[in-house]
Amino acid sequence: MLARVANNLFWMGRYIERAEHIARYLNVNYFSSLDAPNEQSQSRQLVLRSMLCMADDTVPENVELNEEEVLYDIALNTDKSFSIINCVKIARENANSARDLISTELYESINKFYHYVLNYDVDYFKNKGLYDFTVNVTEFTAILRGKIRGTLLHDKVYAIIMLGINIERSTQIVRIIHAKFLDAKKAKGNGEQFKQSSEWTTLLKCVESYDMNRRHYRQPPTKLTTLEFLILNPFCPRSVMNSINQVANHINTLSTDKYPAKDSAAYLIGKTQAEYKFKSIESIEGEVADFIEEMLDCLWLMAQKIEKEYFNY
Amino acid sequence: MPETQHPIFSSYQKDNRFYDEIFDQEGNVKEMYKTLFDLYSGHSVQDFAKLNDKAKASFFNQGITFQVYGEQEIKEKIFPFDLFPRIIAPEEWEHIERGVLQRSKALNLFLWDLYHDKKIIKQGIVPLDLISSSVNFLDQMNGIDPPGGIYNHISGTDLIKHSDGNYYVLEDNIRCPSGVSYVICNRTALKRALFGVFNHYQAHTVTDYGENLLQILESVKPNGVDEPNCVVITPGVYNSAYYEHSYLAKSMGVELVEGRDIFVEHDFVYMKTISGPQKVDVIYRRIDDLFLDPLEFKPDSSLGVPGLFSAYKKGNVCLVNAPGTGVADDKAIYTYMPEIIKYYLDEEPILNNVHTYHCSRPDELKYVLENIDKLVIKPVDEAGGYGISIGNKLTKEEIEKVKVTIQAHPRKYIAQPIMSLSVHATYIEETNSFEPRHVDLRTFTLLGKDKEFVLKGGLTRVALQRGNLIVNSSQGGGSKDTWVLK
Amino acid sequence: MDYTIHYKAQNIYKQPVRSAYWQFLIIPENNDSQTLEKAVFTNSLGVPVQQSVNGYGFETFRVAPKTTFKTINFEAKFRVFKEIFNPFEQLNYRDSSIDRELLRSLQFKVTHERFLKSTPTTELPLVRALPFKFDEESSLFDNLKTLNAWIFNTFKFKSQVTQINTNLSEILEHKHGVCQDFTHLFCAMARKNGIPTRYVSGYLHQGIGYLGDSQMHAWAESFVPGTGWVGFDPTNNLLAAENHIKVAHGKDYADCPPIKGVVYTTGGNTTTYKVLVTSAKDTMSQGQNSDGSMQQQMGTMTQHMEFQDLFPKNGPKDQ
Repeated sequence: MLARVANNLFWMGRYIERAEHIARYLNVNYFSSLDAPNEQSQSRQLVLRSMLCMADDTVPENVELNEEEVLYDIALNTDKSFSIINCVKIARENANSARDLISTELYESINKFYHYVLNYDVDYFKNKGLYDFTVNVTEFTAILRGKIRGTLLHDKVYAIIMLGINIERSTQIVRIIHAKFLDAKKAKGNGEQFKQSSEWTTLLKCVESYDMNRRHYRQPPTKLTTLEFLILNPFCPRSVMNSINQVANHINTLSTDKYPAKDSAAYLIGKTQAEYKFKSIESIEGEVADFIEEMLDCLWLMAQKIEKEYFNY
Repeated sequence: MPETQHPIFSSYQKDNRFYDEIFDQEGNVKEMYKTLFDLYSGHSVQDFAKLNDKAKASFFNQGITFQVYGEQEIKEKIFPFDLFPRIIAPEEWEHIERGVLQRSKALNLFLWDLYHDKKIIKQGIVPLDLISSSVNFLDQMNGIDPPGGIYNHISGTDLIKHSDGNYYVLEDNIRCPSGVSYVICNRTALKRALFGVFNHYQAHTVTDYGENLLQILESVKPNGVDEPNCVVITPGVYNSAYYEHSYLAKSMGVELVEGRDIFVEHDFVYMKTISGPQKVDVIYRRIDDLFLDPLEFKPDSSLGVPGLFSAYKKGNVCLVNAPGTGVADDKAIYTYMPEIIKYYLDEEPILNNVHTYHCSRPDELKYVLENIDKLVIKPVDEAGGYGISIGNKLTKEEIEKVKVTIQAHPRKYIAQPIMSLSVHATYIEETNSFEPRHVDLRTFTLLGKDKEFVLKGGLTRVALQRGNLIVNSSQGGGSKDTWVLK
Repeated sequence: MDYTIHYKAQNIYKQPVRSAYWQFLIIPENNDSQTLEKAVFTNSLGVPVQQSVNGYGFETFRVAPKTTFKTINFEAKFRVFKEIFNPFEQLNYRDSSIDRELLRSLQFKVTHERFLKSTPTTELPLVRALPFKFDEESSLFDNLKTLNAWIFNTFKFKSQVTQINTNLSEILEHKHGVCQDFTHLFCAMARKNGIPTRYVSGYLHQGIGYLGDSQMHAWAESFVPGTGWVGFDPTNNLLAAENHIKVAHGKDYADCPPIKGVVYTTGGNTTTYKVLVTSAKDTMSQGQNSDGSMQQQMGTMTQHMEFQDLFPKNGPKDQ
């Protein structure tokens, strides 16, 4: 496979995944804030800022945010590089350049997705369409995931797309944890209430893991159980651990070295996987902020190494 | 009741100046189309509008689109697809097939001669001026023996049916003829929309093009290579024919590469893959000659690969089609085709050539200037239907303008009698009914080492505007599925 | 005669170069009158040098660095043995009407088609009458010799006033230029009179004060029936002989620029060349120097492209 095309497939996977997370974050935060149990969580400004921060790293402090604008920017503004519409556009462009390698079915679904987003009525979205739009985006991405799994040979093409998807997923999960962690802090301060905050439920819903969490712990989510579940539980398909396990799996399709060199992607991935396997949530709980930063750096480095080793053209 | 009274055919106005593919002189449906006609007449107007929308959406979702130049923004458009197929009878097809194969072979021998001894010119059959003044003649190709002796591996021959009921060749395309992917898409789309009609006819498949093309590519592998690695090279995703490039790569199961994916080292060609460089042996290139290699041709081309031509010259890689084929599909060369066929094959041309006046010849120029209203004026070196003037469509002022242009550059223009393209029943969205529209036919011929193939089918292009004679896709034409009957 | 040719070039880029591919057409060819005895080509980055034959059949060096860099130096050394010969000796004097007859024959015109057609830089202006006329009475060779002298006497050697793609009407109007221009003019006039003529790129040994500019010299070769290709140097009013070391020939300069390349970088560059031709007899070597300001003159064909712009927005038209 061509290195350039591999790079495009990797990013196609990342952008599909990114579009999904942004859409769901938008949806869950907005709608759960409407009847949140405390005033802070209902604050428009807090919610809007949280959504914008999640999509875009550079949000100025102390600026009054306009709801319509924020929602439009995140979803359909083609001038904003972080918008969902741009994610879908880029994903489709990447698919275009690898059109001969991916299945007709997958391409057709991406293309349909693209036309759906492109033709979405902006005025309707601003007034009534938030729920409809975000739900449809997540449905489309679910279809794409199905097409990726079901219509591609599970060979290198598949491995590369899955690497992109899983690295992006863990990155987005960590970012969402980060955003909600800050929200919970703002909402409840540092005490017992912080640990029981409704924001943990929102967080789990943002990553479609609330039901799974309830089944696993059989009690309302707390800070501890939520973090443990989303970071370390290998059986939760949205957890960081699960994503890293998959990344490790797929890198082995590309790298045939049994003992990968110390500066290779496979080595770093293997090492990270081993570390997480034996981490306990108690060791993270005290220093969540540090942990998040470290984790993001590590994921970034993984992507860098993969790109350098395999996509260099 | 006359058959044109079915609601869906009610606006079909027969015009006896043109050959109608479906109706005879009396307005009766021809035998071959009878079953089809009955099946279609059974549909209501609304049914058809729905089917048409579905077919359009299917093309759009599949991303079978092309981009249009010349507007401020590059626009993505679907190539309009018509639901009424064109049918070609077996004996008629047999004639076409022999004819296009004959032309492709003659052109191949002609190219070999032009880049070697130039006998046909030395003997005064084709004027020297036609090659020495042609921008498409590549000096670098002199003396090169392409693998298998093949230059035009892929030829697209454009045919029309004149009012006399005979096929005429309009032009030969032997640089990068495009459109074959639409042939296959049209078939798929028609099958999806109206699968029932196929039960009543026995049409040849068109989906075997990819495997045949791959065999052709493999047949011209460089010496000493056992299992050649073939690739398709494209200018990139922004090219108007990108869909076709990716389709061809996919249907052959080979890589679709861009110039930047390829490099040349010690006269061998490699592509950059995730597991390092991999040697490339045969390149089906969809990049024009002058963009192939910045060291040899256009120095500012970023589409090509530096050093590619040297690798080709050395015989380490095969380029398909060969560089420099453009000299032979020049419209001025076209006019010598009967002589070229006779010279190399010692055969009479099977397919007719349209009579051509060369503006470079003073007496013919005189005739052209005096009879512009009866002629089509064509530039000799423009592709895609650009720069064509149709005499009887011009105003007096326009005629004067054309005259000035021709007189300034007589070598650049030829003129032909206005051929009346046949008409075919075509679904028109504005009126929700079938109307006659002009059509032509592009066939695809493959030549390899000890192998030849003509795709049984072709691209029937339709001029969607009433009365328009230019059927090129970049000029707003559509296309039809084309059935060659068994 | 033994010559040593020392070629040096330095390219300095303002921004890092991510990828490049150069072709050097600077190797003296082997022919009847010259033998290449030794060729060494190195570069400061230690990139392996590839040797390859270009589209017109001439040997070239190619260099394609795989690392990022801002400066690269090239250095070539050639040892060439050149026969000392009198170009007049090879001439075959005969009735020139036979020659003229031959020039008019279709066979001849087709065989020499490539060196009879005009190119953008060898196209004579249509509007004005030809400034120089061939004499029907004298032989083709004598006419060419007179043409050679006419150019030398009519035009002034002046560097940095013309470009590599300056057309002939400008040269004819201003009556100055450099060796490339005079050679283009010579080719144009000879071809106009039906004599196949090619542009030659090579080195000039300036030992006794011949004119030459830029890194490489240029002269012309005409096909004289009965004799073969004869070299004319209109810049010095000479027949090419032992001081002219040939590298390549073509229709015009564009067929044989000494350096061609594709360079992916964002900024500008400066390029310096130095060519030194010395013979065993020279007591003191003389060089032809050039600096970056004369880059155009020297005809570097190096291209600069924005790395970001690799996606072609407008590909070639499809058929």
